[in-house]
Amino acid sequence: MDKSRPVLLAPLDPVHDIGLKIMKRALDEAGYKTILLPPDYQPEEIIKTALDNDVSAVLVSRTLGYGVAELLSGFVDLAEAAGLRDKVKLAIGGMSIKPELAQELGYDAGFGPGTTPEEVIAFLEDREYVPELGGANKQKADLTEGFSYVYHHRRIEELLDKIVDSIIKWSQGKTSPAVKRAQLKEEMLSLPEGKDGTDLAKQYLQWCDPRIRKAYEQNELPPKTRRLTGEEVERLEDYVQETRRRMSVQVLQHSRKKPVVFIQYGTGCPFMDVAHIKVGEAWGADGVVHFDPSWGARTEGFLEGYVTHEEDGSIITFENLKRIKASLRRHTLWQVRAHRGLNTPETVLLAGKAGADLTKINIAYGSLGGGTDPARLTVDAVKAIQYAVKFKLPFDVVTNEELCGVPAHKAFAGMLITAHLGRRLGGRPILQPLFCYSPEVMISGQMDDNYIDFNAAKVFALRRIIDAPIWPGAPIGFLTHTEDRVQSSVTTALHAALASSLEVEAVSIASSDEAYSGGPISAQARTDTLRAVQEAFRFFGRAGIKPTGRAEEWAEKITEGILEVLESVADKGDFVQALYDGLLGSVAEGAYPGRGGRGTVIHD
Amino acid sequence: MEDHYRKVLDAVDVETFFVCQDENEGKALALKLLESFGLKDADIVFIQHQGPGARVRARGYIFRPGDHYGWLEGGERNG
Repeated sequence: MDKSRPVLLAPLDPVHDIGLKIMKRALDEAGYKTILLPPDYQPEEIIKTALDNDVSAVLVSRTLGYGVAELLSGFVDLAEAAGLRDKVKLAIGGMSIKPELAQELGYDAGFGPGTTPEEVIAFLEDREYVPELGGANKQKADLTEGFSYVYHHRRIEELLDKIVDSIIKWSQGKTSPAVKRAQLKEEMLSLPEGKDGTDLAKQYLQWCDPRIRKAYEQNELPPKTRRLTGEEVERLEDYVQETRRRMSVQVLQHSRKKPVVFIQYGTGCPFMDVAHIKVGEAWGADGVVHFDPSWGARTEGFLEGYVTHEEDGSIITFENLKRIKASLRRHTLWQVRAHRGLNTPETVLLAGKAGADLTKINIAYGSLGGGTDPARLTVDAVKAIQYAVKFKLPFDVVTNEELCGVPAHKAFAGMLITAHLGRRLGGRPILQPLFCYSPEVMISGQMDDNYIDFNAAKVFALRRIIDAPIWPGAPIGFLTHTEDRVQSSVTTALHAALASSLEVEAVSIASSDEAYSGGPISAQARTDTLRAVQEAFRFFGRAGIKPTGRAEEWAEKITEGILEVLESVADKGDFVQALYDGLLGSVAEGAYPGRGGRGTVIHD
Repeated sequence: MEDHYRKVLDAVDVETFFVCQDENEGKALALKLLESFGLKDADIVFIQHQGPGARVRARGYIFRPGDHYGWLEGGERNG
């Protein structure tokens, strides 16, 4: 289009001209000359201005109402009578305007609410408007990029060195059924195509729970589970392809690029998971976290094939994981958790082989709040971290023992020990404090006034200690949600806004069904909180949430508490025994050393 | 009118997510769903189509202001 002739923007309306002002700015930026008339001009005045200035196009705006159709068609008649109609492009825009209506009234185009400037420019330039699929430029975030892991607190670093020395020394010469299985599975997955793996499979089964052996040997699956049929697998493939063709994604972040937002899935069925993941991606989730069933964590060994079941948590099999991975968009971060249970090394192995981006490991939580024996999990975690390093998977170190009642400073001491072990073994840990209404604060009152200060204090404390990535979880606002979707979405959004204000790397969010326990969460509940978080990011932008002075005071106390706990663990000289003895969370505080896998550590 | 509808203050909202090609298909599905519930005075309050489908809030009015309200004795349902 010849840009030397101006474009006339005319509100054929007594007051409204915001839409045209937005368009003017976009057209000016695109190199057009523009004339914007004020509201309340008569049609004759608009046409005269168009003729006097030899404009190339007239963009008229009007909000529909009674008698407006007549007004708009009358404007076209007047333009024709004045000899203008053939010289210009004529378009109408406004609320309730549809292309069909515009055509009916004699306009070349009609633009309704949500019209982008690009759409109008395409019209002016006689180009077909091809809407850009949203989020096409979304990039996969590296949560650990730019962090030095340098300690600011020298004494804590010294203590962690001492404790990690003792863990490495203690774990030498020890192995477990999980480690054996992971090693065998690694060999099985490395076999060349067509090579018989029967012997390895037999060896693998020797280290498995009887119900897993039964599934392999007699095809008898655990209760409430079934294999998905070949036809179902094919249909899912079709569904994913079909969805991919029309996929566009929202971007949640506004001014700040961080935090990236994770959602958690684990409906029980990997195929329903895929459907939920696609909804989550479309509504802007940057990452997804795989939740496995709690019984899976208490069972030695993994099933194989496409397996679904009817309760919370989706069963980990290599096939399930690969199918889920194949459904993800390129930019979507994918985390598979290995933070508790009897299969942690193999989980990280399968996650790495299936193409995961992240995993989750924490000895203290897994053994004090996750039901796994401390000695067993320590052996397994060392191997799991080694796999994480091998597959270049950063891992978060979650502190969910806070939900049992363990005070934040003790949970953080456990987190820092696992993170330091991770660093020693060459890994890239991410600290995961909980943004939660924990039993500790319920009893002690740190959140009596607000949910901001104590959560902020946790981040401040960790930053006083080490330069490491922080990813509050999981999900943020834990124990602040109710079954009401509005309340639930608001609390999630506000906690996300706090995380954004604190400039952390990532958050994990729940759906608005977080507090509902009557059944699986719904797709619409997923969109609720994603939309709410997007709005919170839009609202706050680069502005922040200002904690009160209590946040710094509590950060100091948390730091002192961490130091005290680490001193006691280091003095003991035995990290595993410290877990049994309650130094990182006692029975009185709700931390119970797990019994899963007790007595199964093997001395090589 | 069934008792449960008589007791509705004004409207019934149905919130769901349809797997569908576009917004128009989502709207049509939502209206069909309301119709199947016997809700004739229906509208789409909100719809957002993105990728796999549409998040919808569809509404069936039982009583509009000025109607004879069922929750006041003897009222009749709108639509």
